[in-house]
Amino acid sequence: MIFSSISFLFYFLPIVLILYFAVPFKLKNLVLLLSSLFFYFYGEPIYGFLMIGTILSAYIHGLLIDKFKGKAVGKFFLCTSVIIPLVSLCFFKYADFFISNINIIFGGNFDLLKLALPIGISFYTFQALSYTIDVYRNEVAVQKNLLNLATYIALFPQLIAGPIVRYADIEAELRERTHSFENFSYGVNRFIIGLAKKVLIADSLGTLSMLLHDGDASVVGYWVYSIAVSLQLYFDFSGYSDMAIGLGRIFGFHFLENFNYPFVSKSIGEFWRRWHISLGRWFRDYLYIPLGGNRVKIPRFIFNTALVWLCTGFWHGADWTFILWGLYFAIFLIIEKFFLNKVLKKLPAFLTHFYVCLVVMLSFVLFSSNGLENAVNDFKCLFGAGDLPLFTSETGYYLLSYSVILVMALVGSTPLIKSVVLSLKRREILNKIINVLEPIIQLSLLAVITAYMVDGSFSPFLYFRF
Amino acid sequence: MSNKIKNIVVTVCFCLFILFFSVIAVVKPPTKVSESERRPLAQFPESITLESVFDKSAIEQFESYTVDQFPLREAFRTLKAYFHLDVLRIKENNGLAVKNGYIAAIINDFNDEVIDYSLGRLRYVSETYLKDNKGNKYFALVPDKNYYLAEDYGYPSPDYKGLKNKITDMFTDFEYIDLTDTLCLEAYYKTDTHWSQDKIISAANKLLSSMGVDEVKPESYTLNSINDFKGVYYLQSALYPQPDTLYYLTNDTINSYTVYDYETQNEIPVYSKELFESKDGYNFFLGGTKALLRIDNPKATTDKELIIFRDSFTSSIAPLLAESYKSVYLVDIRYVMPDIVREYIDPADKDVLFMYSSLILNQKSLK
Repeated sequence: MIFSSISFLFYFLPIVLILYFAVPFKLKNLVLLLSSLFFYFYGEPIYGFLMIGTILSAYIHGLLIDKFKGKAVGKFFLCTSVIIPLVSLCFFKYADFFISNINIIFGGNFDLLKLALPIGISFYTFQALSYTIDVYRNEVAVQKNLLNLATYIALFPQLIAGPIVRYADIEAELRERTHSFENFSYGVNRFIIGLAKKVLIADSLGTLSMLLHDGDASVVGYWVYSIAVSLQLYFDFSGYSDMAIGLGRIFGFHFLENFNYPFVSKSIGEFWRRWHISLGRWFRDYLYIPLGGNRVKIPRFIFNTALVWLCTGFWHGADWTFILWGLYFAIFLIIEKFFLNKVLKKLPAFLTHFYVCLVVMLSFVLFSSNGLENAVNDFKCLFGAGDLPLFTSETGYYLLSYSVILVMALVGSTPLIKSVVLSLKRREILNKIINVLEPIIQLSLLAVITAYMVDGSFSPFLYFRF
Repeated sequence: MSNKIKNIVVTVCFCLFILFFSVIAVVKPPTKVSESERRPLAQFPESITLESVFDKSAIEQFESYTVDQFPLREAFRTLKAYFHLDVLRIKENNGLAVKNGYIAAIINDFNDEVIDYSLGRLRYVSETYLKDNKGNKYFALVPDKNYYLAEDYGYPSPDYKGLKNKITDMFTDFEYIDLTDTLCLEAYYKTDTHWSQDKIISAANKLLSSMGVDEVKPESYTLNSINDFKGVYYLQSALYPQPDTLYYLTNDTINSYTVYDYETQNEIPVYSKELFESKDGYNFFLGGTKALLRIDNPKATTDKELIIFRDSFTSSIAPLLAESYKSVYLVDIRYVMPDIVREYIDPADKDVLFMYSSLILNQKSLK
């Protein structure tokens, strides 16, 4: 089930809301857990058991790590708590990647397993890992209540596409949280904004990207494609995060922000502090810092950075394009660290923005390519070596046809609208007017989004495959 | 409005919106068919078994059901269409573009595989059924409305030139008759794929002169009309535009025709007001979808006969062409196997015209 579907919005959500707000507080986590399990089993009837296995593994390991804290056996249980879900993740997500590469390198003929990727496995696995590691590090108390831990890992708002919520961030709210019109209203607002970003903007940009990439291509068309696909990824993923944060708030949870207008960054380092923040934070806390972080000698720093970004890329998908994508960022981060940051600080803002946008756009062309061969071809086309005309009438047509969407996406990817609204709200009279307009705009948007869902076909979120 | 009241209003409005539609969705009796899309709508899964849950078929069916049976579905489709075209200013909605009231399907490219299949079927007809035919053979392509939309308004259009070249390369024993210069956007209905009979007299004359027979006289016709023609795009577009007027031409010759339907072994009228009221108003012409027809012209001054392998575009132009022949045979190999056509119509020395719209050649529908 996806958030931008009729089944979620008009069947699942109303029932869950009624049940959740009808039961006393002590039963609310049970309602959330059961509805989350239903939510997952609805989309993944078989792999639901895999997620339950991950929850049980985290729960039992948490108890064992806590019991044997400070002893060698405690470390052993920490290792098994990490290895078991990682092996499961590797098996379901990466088995065919390894088999096909072994076949290529050693001339083998092993059959591919062709397993379907369990939805959200990368997200809930990382959440389970963060829990047991934090218990081992004494950063959180062990959760002896299976219901609460299971609710944390399986919580449907962030279960299948993040953000990767750390146990420590919602530990207190699993025990006690407040429900209010303020929370509900904020949640509704974020949820509708996220839906609009996904359904109205990201999906339209997806269509434009496909038309420019697969139709009568041109060099200009490829550059517009690189912009469209970058914005599509941003609106798709940040839209989902908005929906997750909004739904979480409706149920009283405060999830951390996952995006903070990454395209306004002035360096790649800053970009990654604004893009998929929860993933960056996870790799920083559980891999980069344990490796020594940046307080090491230069070769070790380079190694640490490369390894973390190789893993970040590989986390996104079982293909060489994703590994290269991660290493591509590692190169820029290392260059920025050693000399480019000093140069960037001296440059005018528009040049640093241009630098970040160019690097990111090219990265997303690689990210969106279907295999290395296609990636090479895409880059050839971008830089005029793809035997394409500079411009075609079709490119002009699509550019014109999607110009409003492109402008909306470009403006929406900056904090401009948010800043304007916030500054207007500072004046009491304008705040009152905005308060009247807000429900009207929200309902209108909801009606339009519903219209798109009724008229449209199935459109899964891009980040479901990660 | 204070922040506190706004929060309550937002909460109540959101809950009412989703609860209202969810309750209506549950209690509303399911609709069987979508008139606008001309397809059956998904129904609630008949039986939900463990197997159908685990192989996801029940869930997929339920997903389709929730979308297809959503309350006010057509109204929501209209809202989406207007928002898409007028607010987002995207030039097409669900593949349909609107220009000056003319609705047309936007196609970037022909499907080469399907085009090859369709032309292959026609080649088969030529090599089997027409093997011993001694008449002249002609091929005419009817461009879709999007051809003229692209030319004048900058919409993308498929490679008509390439399609023409493919036809002339494959059918070297046929004379290709180019109709593009006799047509324009206004020759087509605004809400339908087809052409309007009153606007295709010059196309008919181009065909007739190319086939070496007398042209028709435009002044000989009486122009008749029926209002409220809602073409295939009328509902499909969800825009509910102004319906077309269906014009049709009559004169003494057309009025004297007899049209024989080989399938029902009955005579049918050239124009049928009864069929205009059917789901597809264009069935008004020659009874709509018919496999084998023969139009006999008792006022003909020639013994020449013509066989047209055709699609529905021919239904409205055939009454004009038949004026210059003793008999015109209409064969639609979407509804009859080419191998059995000989049992009904002997090609002998009849002239033969293959007349197909690009729309049909780009669909895998020929037998």
